[in-house]
Amino acid sequence: MPSREEQTSAVFSFSWLVVKEYRELVSSRAWWVFLLAMGPLVGVTFISAVRTYGEASGLNGTAVGVGEAFSPLIGIWAPTFSACEVAAVFLLPFVAIRLVAGDRQSGALKIEMQHPMPTFARVAAKAIVLLAGWFVASLAPLAAVLLWKSYGGSIYWPELATVMLGHVLNAGLAISLSAATASLTEHPSTAAILTLSVTVGTWILEFIAAVQGGIWERVAGYTPPAMVAAFQHGLIRLDVILIALALVIAGLGLAAVWLRLGVPVRRRVQESIALGALATGVVFACAFVSPSWDTSESRTNSFTESDEETLSRIHAPLRIDVHLAPEDPRRADLDRKAIAKLRRVLPKVQVQYISSTSIGLFEQTAPHYGEIWYELGGRREMSRATTAESALETIYDLAGVKPPLEKDDEIFRGHPLAVAPKGAAVVFYGIWPALVVASAWLVRRRQA
Amino acid sequence: MFQARNLTKRYGRLTALSDVSFSVRPGEVLGLIGPNGSGKTTLFECLGGVLPLDAGSLEHDGQPLTDRVRASTLFYLPDSIVPWPAQPVRWALDFTLGFFGGRTFLRDEVVQRLDLQPLLDTTIGVLSKGQRKRALLAIGLLMPQPVLLADEPFDGLDLRQSRDVAQTLRAYAAAGRTMVLSIHQIKDAARVCDRFVLLSGGSIRGEGTLDQLASLAAARGGAATDDLEEVFLALT
Repeated sequence: MPSREEQTSAVFSFSWLVVKEYRELVSSRAWWVFLLAMGPLVGVTFISAVRTYGEASGLNGTAVGVGEAFSPLIGIWAPTFSACEVAAVFLLPFVAIRLVAGDRQSGALKIEMQHPMPTFARVAAKAIVLLAGWFVASLAPLAAVLLWKSYGGSIYWPELATVMLGHVLNAGLAISLSAATASLTEHPSTAAILTLSVTVGTWILEFIAAVQGGIWERVAGYTPPAMVAAFQHGLIRLDVILIALALVIAGLGLAAVWLRLGVPVRRRVQESIALGALATGVVFACAFVSPSWDTSESRTNSFTESDEETLSRIHAPLRIDVHLAPEDPRRADLDRKAIAKLRRVLPKVQVQYISSTSIGLFEQTAPHYGEIWYELGGRREMSRATTAESALETIYDLAGVKPPLEKDDEIFRGHPLAVAPKGAAVVFYGIWPALVVASAWLVRRRQA
Repeated sequence: MFQARNLTKRYGRLTALSDVSFSVRPGEVLGLIGPNGSGKTTLFECLGGVLPLDAGSLEHDGQPLTDRVRASTLFYLPDSIVPWPAQPVRWALDFTLGFFGGRTFLRDEVVQRLDLQPLLDTTIGVLSKGQRKRALLAIGLLMPQPVLLADEPFDGLDLRQSRDVAQTLRAYAAAGRTMVLSIHQIKDAARVCDRFVLLSGGSIRGEGTLDQLASLAAARGGAATDDLEEVFLALT
């Protein structure tokens, strides 16, 4: 057990390390280029989103009624913050790799590693600074929020915070992956290739999942793009958060293992395998965690409150056999509009997908293709519709409960706003880059 | 103070260190002498804990040297590094002092002795080799560990600077600091070291004071001499 003096000394050393990582970050060109790019990236997506939203809301003569279906979450925040996703995949890794690999390349690591501080703490200091850097870069989308507010746009903070949380977790994953690859490889360029390979690998996994379905689909649900997509729809899933955190810690742990240059390679390999096995176990266990929260104003991920209340009174296990191929768009419809919502309300729902091909094109004439069988309390009923309403109707019928009356106040009317993105171009293409360049000049001058 | 016993390090089929054993005494300046490629840097990296050993052990006062004890006993100053290249020397000194809990009270004295005052606001990445070496030596001298392992402390220094650095190292050794210096220029070693460890081809060829090594060389059939260069040539 370290003494109080040792603990104080450790905290003091750690704070010095954080300061050092901050100085190293702001002295790197990669960081300033990343920050510079964030403005135009967000600008393009925000301006495009506001224009589309405005047109759909009635600008230039389009019918006002179309805009009523719009929520800022889907119409503005998801596309605007998608710039963060691009930045997390293609820009942030280079900043992170530079910060982690720089110490090894310059030889500073050989000095710093002689401090008895645990290597994980050293990696954590880098991760903290990089995450802080991410928050600074997030000022660009926050400027978009302020602009939207200035246009008179509606902001529902829980859903906006959920979108931001998703991107922070995504950035955390990008940082930990980059830290791991930078520690595993001898050269930053190798680390960059490895990082991008992992990213491309997740895209391939998503493609396989779309074609094969089954376990691939389940695994692909935890890739960064899938995770971000859930948050962009205002859905907070505890399993996704826990798995993301587990992967972040595992990535940083792997980085810590490989930064211990004084430990034999064989032992580092053994520790990496053990860490990988532990992370796999944790991820597997977390996949069974079910709580989730729909923070979207439009209840995008939920049935109406009346329906949820009615469904909660059904205690018998529900089984659904879906005769649709993974790439059939009707299956995606059913998944998103009905099954995902059902899973959040009914803990005992079991879904079985049945198809002999991946696209279903040649199965259309098969006797049961397109059928959706619902089984509840020993009774079975078939439907071909893939809407939430038809699914609920069938389930209520099987359960013998009366469907709730539709309440007018439960219907989301949307927040149409026919406005042009005034001033956005000046902010993102003019003021933001000028501020970044001025900050870079000031900070570097102050450090010298 | 600490002993190295049968240290062995291999890079694939190449044996960089073979059964290297020697001891370090408190307050002495021990010179590790050997030609380029003799294994000096590998030995220092193994002693400093930045490279794993394949075999052998390190002992401190008769006890195995644990990582924690090593961290509080030895500080290894590598050669040919450009740490924190974007940071000024002043900050690098402050950082290492704060991070390692170094000898802050010596800061001004070390800066003055190594003539670093004009370089304090210069970033490390733009320093010349000799200037960088002095800045790194300052870091080494300010560290709290009682033993300083410095790899090629005179590399890149001119004649006057070498002499001044040698005097500085001797001064801190006289004040109780133990120095282990890896040196390939034998004249530099002769000027500053109390004892020597001769390393060649990854093996120890002799250990002791100049007189002891001269006797050893004579015993092996070499000519009687008190010139370290001749002794080194006779023993390697």
